[in-house]
Amino acid sequence: MNLRSRLPDRMAKRRTTLTLPADSLTQAQRIARTRKVNLSTVIAEALSEGLRVHAAAERSVEVLNGYKKAFSGLSDEEVAILDGVILEPAARR
Amino acid sequence: MINPASGPLLFDTSAESWLARTDRSEVLAWMREYLSHHQVHISAVTVLERIRGYSLLWRRTEGVGRERIEAMRIAYLTTLGRVWPLDGAVAVVAGEIMALFPDPPTPPRRSHNLAESRHERLARWRFDGMIAATALVARMPLVHNNAADFESVRSAIERSPERFPNLGALELIRCGLLT
Repeated sequence: MNLRSRLPDRMAKRRTTLTLPADSLTQAQRIARTRKVNLSTVIAEALSEGLRVHAAAERSVEVLNGYKKAFSGLSDEEVAILDGVILEPAARR
Repeated sequence: MINPASGPLLFDTSAESWLARTDRSEVLAWMREYLSHHQVHISAVTVLERIRGYSLLWRRTEGVGRERIEAMRIAYLTTLGRVWPLDGAVAVVAGEIMALFPDPPTPPRRSHNLAESRHERLARWRFDGMIAATALVARMPLVHNNAADFESVRSAIERSPERFPNLGALELIRCGLLT
């Protein structure tokens, strides 16, 4: 069994052809030279960070929408109940 | 302004609902930025207070209203980020806080002809102590919307550091000062 076949799917690598903005490519090549790594490593890191930011932004929208659904249309008294403040008619006490 | 990237922060129950209901654009922008770096961290006590609240609202409602409340409860549970448990360490610190302050620092809430009972006020105060203890154990600043209660806890801890060894100070951030 070779090493590649033992790598988990998320670490497996595939060859592809991309068309990239020339400026970005030049910057990536400069970084690769400075760090003495190959261009694929720099592009993979940049892509990974970009995908992390994208996923975080999606998650942030999901959370804010979820909060909107969880609290919308409630009166102040109802929100107080959700906050743990239970008010009862004073005369009953 | 608190740098949203500097967290994570622990959100008190009332702080979470304040942030969830705000329509102030600067607060929403702050939350979006915070959420791009961190999850919303809350105590299991906040989940307890919230679910008890949804259940009480559900029992007070009938018919279609109940479906609406249940949908809200599910939306809340789906939104949960990191929930800190009430474990042994938190229980030890919460016990110390409750011993320092057996009674709530402020009276029961009142609103028009409604009032909070004494035992409800005491329960809420003890829950606040557990949330403050969670922030201390997790070493996270506590975002709150309840200055009177949490400032009292903070001052009491500062006066008795020997009862809270190696925990440092309780760092508090008011909701209104996030942005």
